Amino acid sequence: MNELDKIPVRQEISVAQGSVKRSNPLANVFDELVRFCQSRSMFMLHYCTGCGAIELPPAMTSRFDMERLGIQPMVTPRQADILLITGYVSVKTLKRIILTYEQMPAPKYVIGICSCTVNGGMYWQSYATAKVLKEYLPVDIYIAGCMPRPEAVISGLRDLMGDIKSGSASNWKRYFQNYDHYLGNQQKLFDEDWQTPTDIIAEAEHYGLITDQTLGEHTALLQKHQQPLEALEFSLGEKREKIRGENQ
Amino acid sequence: MRPENYEAIKQPPSNEFELNFGPNHPGIEGNYAFRVKLNGDEVLSARADAGYLHRGFEKLMEGRLWIQNIALVPRICVPDPVPMEVCYSLAIEELCGLEIPERAQWLRVMQLEMSRLAAHLFAFGGHAATTGMYTPMFWGVADRDLILDRFEELTGGRVYSIYNIPGGVRRDMPDGFLDRLGALLDYLDSRLPDYDSLFFRNQVFIRRARDVGAMTQEQALKWGVTGPNLRATGLAFDVRRDDPYLAYEKIDFDVVTQPGGDALSRNLVRRAELKQSIRILRQVIKHLPSVKGAVRCPIPNPLAWNVPAGETYTRVESSKGELAYYVVSNGGDKPYRVHVRGPSSMHAVQVLEKLAVGSRLEDIAQIMFSLDACPPEVDR
Ligand code: SF4
Repeated sequence: MNELDKIPVRQEISVAQGSVKRSNPLANVFDELVRFCQSRSMFMLHYCTGCGAIELPPAMTSRFDMERLGIQPMVTPRQADILLITGYVSVKTLKRIILTYEQMPAPKYVIGICSCTVNGGMYWQSYATAKVLKEYLPVDIYIAGCMPRPEAVISGLRDLMGDIKSGSASNWKRYFQNYDHYLGNQQKLFDEDWQTPTDIIAEAEHYGLITDQTLGEHTALLQKHQQPLEALEFSLGEKREKIRGENQ
Repeated sequence: MRPENYEAIKQPPSNEFELNFGPNHPGIEGNYAFRVKLNGDEVLSARADAGYLHRGFEKLMEGRLWIQNIALVPRICVPDPVPMEVCYSLAIEELCGLEIPERAQWLRVMQLEMSRLAAHLFAFGGHAATTGMYTPMFWGVADRDLILDRFEELTGGRVYSIYNIPGGVRRDMPDGFLDRLGALLDYLDSRLPDYDSLFFRNQVFIRRARDVGAMTQEQALKWGVTGPNLRATGLAFDVRRDDPYLAYEKIDFDVVTQPGGDALSRNLVRRAELKQSIRILRQVIKHLPSVKGAVRCPIPNPLAWNVPAGETYTRVESSKGELAYYVVSNGGDKPYRVHVRGPSSMHAVQVLEKLAVGSRLEDIAQIMFSLDACPPEVDR
């Protein structure tokens, strides 16, 4: 039994969404307008991870024509809103998916297409695939089926649009709020020195989404395995304070 | 990692740099990557980075019943799944000494050619997209969908049909299927001139693709190239004609070749094969009503089916090249060992690595699509 196995992975806790008090009565109207616009212009990352991807070209092109819903493929994660996981994810792909996901700017949405993302599907006994996607990333919508037809894909996307419009598609916040849980599962799979180039903790701070579930023993491991071994988020905070002080 | 831990790696000044091409890249087919070394935009060396789609098929198959594996094999190559089922079924039939009825043979030929048409339509659309032309892609995908509709009518599934089982096919065609298939063929036939003027005779495509990724016939043979890619180097080899299986002996078709060996020739071979597939399907439509009888021979209870011990090697011509299964049975209800000899594992790894050297960065995608490699089958 190695060190990592001794640390339990925390249960994910859904954190109550504190509603921000807006003094301006027009602010709610404005929020709604923004959400409406967001739901009508979504860029979908062009990353085909599994065999379900073969139904995306028909869904995107003339016959089913996703573009009429305002959904377009986008080539870089930095400008994408939706990450489609189209099918089984092998462990090697899952690393890239997490790197990609963390690079996407919030608000971001994950759609798991195919039964393989729900519970492993056909490959439930495979040694090479990660079975349950939502242990590693917060998933907004699952579209089950082996493989789902283009109509099903489009209906799933429409559901997501509805959720965005009503403001209930906020699963991306859970990644920041429960980072220790997700990181724990990732470390179980990739070993304890797993690192990503994105600074999730600082981002969580930026969005104001730090909870007591964000930091934990697994994030401590993250710190342990990077050089130099300092309590980095504090030094970063201090630096910020310093810069602020100088500016004033 | 925190940003302050990034450290610039000190290197002597040079024009050479390394680039990760894929897996998240629109110019790459599927989930596949390359690590290329460049001087300016000229490729000095390329190294395939496969394994993103690895599921351990050959191991999975050893743990499932013979009949369960039928549902597993089409997943090996997603754009062209039917040859997988047929080849695996042929292997079991050979081990068991089953003689499949003639009607089933013709039905299998029909599916194989429909699948080939669909895969070729997809492939040239993909190639067009890498040269910056998106209209052919839209056309190819839309016309492929019409074939998928016929698959759905015949088998119930759009992409993975799982219609072939050892001993024949699951059930007979629905009434009037051949008429609708004939109407589809007429439509596709009328589209071919449009494809020509849009893509295959388009100067944008011809100038981009000529002499890109060229190989000679000797090289092709040495590297294990098969299928349309081999025929594009001028060698008329086709498993359908040279080692006929199913009903292909009774069918009249040409093995098309092109002399160039480059991306252009490979696409022109595929274009000609569209025509040949339509021709084969027309013969099937003419011949099938006169073949009466069952569509599968009696097989033992599939859930307790002990295939006699032995080993066999069966091959078929898929749209990507020669596809073969090496199956070993030790007399049990599960395969002892299955090896898949897929065409793409040669094309996408060893051939692509060599063809990419000396080409330009923007041509790698073109070479890959012109070889029509299928990443799920490389990784398996
Ligand atoms: S659910 Fe089926 S189609 Fe989708 S990735 Fe899994 S095996 Fe492929």
